[in-house]
Amino acid sequence: MSAAPSLADIRDESAPMLCAVRTRRLFAAAAVGAAFVTSVAACSSGSGQPSNVITVSSNQCGGQWRLSGPGWHTFEINNQSTGGGEVDLIDPANGAVYDEIENIGPGTSTPMALDVGSGRYAFLCLFDDFNPLKGATVTVPGHAAGAQAILPITYNDVIPLAKKYQAYTEAGLKLLARETGTLAADVRSGHLAAAKRDWLTAHLRYETLGAAYGAFGNFDDEIDGRADAVGVNSPKWTGFYRLEYGLWHGQAATELTPVASTLSRDVDALLASWPSQEIPLIDIGLRAHEIMENALEFQLTGHDDYGSGTTLATTLANIAGDRELLSLLHPLLAPRYPGLPAVYSGLNLLQSLLEKQHRQNGPWVPVSALTVSTRQAIDAACGQLAQELAPIASIAEPRNTANAF
Amino acid sequence: MPSEPVPSEPVPSEPVPSEPVPSEPVPSEPVPSEPLPSDAVPSGAAPSQPLSSGSLSPGPRPPARRSFLRGMAGGVAGGVLAGGAAGAAAGYAYHGDPQNPAADADETAIVGRLPAVPFHGRYQAGILPQPQRATAVVSFDVTAADRAALTDLFQTVTDRARFLTSGGTPPPAGIGGPPTDSGVLGPTVVPDGLTVTFGVGSTLFDDRYGLASLRPAHLVPMTSFPNDDLDPAQSGGDLILQLSAGNADTVIHALRDIAKSTRGGMQANWRIDGFASPARPAGTVPRNLLGFMDGIANPSVTSAASMDSLVWVQRGAAGEPAWTAGGSYLVVRLIRMFVEFWDRVDVFEQETMIGRRRDTGFPLDGASLDATPDYAADPTGEVVPLTAHIRLANPRTPSTANSRLLRRAWNYDRGLDQVGDLDMGLVFTCYQQDIGRQFETVQRRLLDEPLVDYISPFGGGYFLALPGVTGPSDYYGRALLF
Repeated sequence: MSAAPSLADIRDESAPMLCAVRTRRLFAAAAVGAAFVTSVAACSSGSGQPSNVITVSSNQCGGQWRLSGPGWHTFEINNQSTGGGEVDLIDPANGAVYDEIENIGPGTSTPMALDVGSGRYAFLCLFDDFNPLKGATVTVPGHAAGAQAILPITYNDVIPLAKKYQAYTEAGLKLLARETGTLAADVRSGHLAAAKRDWLTAHLRYETLGAAYGAFGNFDDEIDGRADAVGVNSPKWTGFYRLEYGLWHGQAATELTPVASTLSRDVDALLASWPSQEIPLIDIGLRAHEIMENALEFQLTGHDDYGSGTTLATTLANIAGDRELLSLLHPLLAPRYPGLPAVYSGLNLLQSLLEKQHRQNGPWVPVSALTVSTRQAIDAACGQLAQELAPIASIAEPRNTANAF
Repeated sequence: MPSEPVPSEPVPSEPVPSEPVPSEPVPSEPVPSEPLPSDAVPSGAAPSQPLSSGSLSPGPRPPARRSFLRGMAGGVAGGVLAGGAAGAAAGYAYHGDPQNPAADADETAIVGRLPAVPFHGRYQAGILPQPQRATAVVSFDVTAADRAALTDLFQTVTDRARFLTSGGTPPPAGIGGPPTDSGVLGPTVVPDGLTVTFGVGSTLFDDRYGLASLRPAHLVPMTSFPNDDLDPAQSGGDLILQLSAGNADTVIHALRDIAKSTRGGMQANWRIDGFASPARPAGTVPRNLLGFMDGIANPSVTSAASMDSLVWVQRGAAGEPAWTAGGSYLVVRLIRMFVEFWDRVDVFEQETMIGRRRDTGFPLDGASLDATPDYAADPTGEVVPLTAHIRLANPRTPSTANSRLLRRAWNYDRGLDQVGDLDMGLVFTCYQQDIGRQFETVQRRLLDEPLVDYISPFGGGYFLALPGVTGPSDYYGRALLF
């Protein structure tokens, strides 16, 4: 992704153009039983046909195009330049984005379908090595409802969030390093009952850190890797799950001592490297739903239960991590995402269902021991939550277009 | 059976009791003793010739009931040899353009009238064609007691495949036992385009049958790649059998027939059924369950040079025992797709992961389905990201040309997982002449591609699809076993 353009760099392809739009009221009235008739009337100027093909290049961004009235419209965006670029359809007043094609290849055409409502529309073309180019403005008068434009989030919006998240993670890693140190000492001294308890504490800590989706790269493979590709008997398998497998399958303290020590060392190394790690800005929004996608795929299925039966606790830890991300994103999401309240109620529902599965001062109920109805309620809540979280990835993605306005 | 032309009225639902034969002259049944013409009679129309009046005759040469269990020696099954001896064709495609299945082939498949695919040939006939609508992939372990029994097993599979792919009327059982045929396809077995692809896994070359010195050069157990989650119960096997046809009932019929004929000799390990979707829209390429067209950029199956350099094991290839010539290495990968997760990802991100537009199948930098992506013009991946699946899988450079392979994929759909999500995905198969040079090289390039979060390979195996059965006296693996 190219660097965000600054306000001074933007070019205007033409003066704003107002397109007078007739609506086909007579036709609509005559169409018995038609709940809604898309207006196909065109601009009063030119051939009278709405513009289907939108030509873009490094020095043209749609030219003098037209829009029929409100309704579903499909543009064919045709990139006639020799390089790739991004084409957005925006509200020229505030830069809110109706739709976008993030990477349109040279010499190619790509459809852009939109439910057009009353409002102002302009194309914005972002081509490599050229300043952003804003095309003509087309206005659809009236009060017809259509697709909502979303005010883009800027890189500058996200940078402070990423810094806060980095600090949150670093604080968590410091606690984790202490906890995995204790865990290694337990194992070394042969206190395996204490090790089981301290394993859970440390693992749940790790699972609140956004690690659920490999945010730690290779460290995550070493600290929280699954046996999937190598098998449970492989010496290549290290980390929390390896230790869980040993602790809950009767392996001796002597056998597990190097496993626990390696885990502790790997966590120390991650902590030491953390200040130099950079969280990709796009990850902040993606993680919000990916954390729960992974909880569904690996924890609620029981896939990641290597003996302790604590995947419901892991899911709760993942919820805590997700709540942290959402609290950071909240100021950006609240004005942009009408589904945000459903996200919070979904988190609350899933959390309350999971907390009921923790016997007082006792063990967690393994997913395999849940009753069918309880398991269905948990799975349904998590699936619905993932649905509600999914749009955040697109909404919170920092956009090049944003700085142009 | 009446000697008059078949009436066009609806068939009575009950046989007429006084007649010795079922009064079900279903118009769409083929004439048993003749190969199906490729322009088969349209469904519902009366054949231009009356059906045979010898209604009790099962055909000129009923398939002998070769019993593997009884250890009958010899006894080459009869059955009609559709397509005659014209088995030298290097594969069979239903479509003029093998990359673009035609709509009429789909319609023909629906009514079960796909013509017989010639069984005999230098290569197995099921390898090159476009994926048929229905398939089953079944792995077996050999339980035959010794080398002779193993040979008998391979001969039996050959005989059944020869009959099933040709079609015909199964012999009557008389009063001596249960019927010889499951009846799933009615009284006469239609070919329905059935292909039988039979292969061997590396475990067959252990010390059981004295075959260790004849192991194909590149045949090893399937590698577990870093993002794999292989289930041993759904991986590997001594033998692999793939049955493909125009309809699921044809596939099931063939599987039941072969299984009942080989009960004592091989035991099924794992199985997966697949389907290929019709091209939507017509004239494009069928889609997988991620919603993307699958297998657009295959090497040309009509180019003998391409197939000889990429697919068929060549005579005299380094390290290869002579018997493998004309075979092809088959990689089967069972790949779960997390479709709920995928459906929660916006389409641009999906397209960025794949490298093609979802609606059209065009490469992100291209203006047609068969456009060749120009990666040299896009060195930083601004248009087609460097990590896009199509770019990693086939970088389209001279140095990667010999890692191309023939990709053949079916969709699978088999119920639910532990959290009630849909258990569906891809039965990926591919053919090549060297698994290390081709599949594994491609797979290493794909390591950690963004797509891995949405898929999980859980089974499959490496096999050698045997050389073709060249004629009536040949059988699968003869050059290996004789």
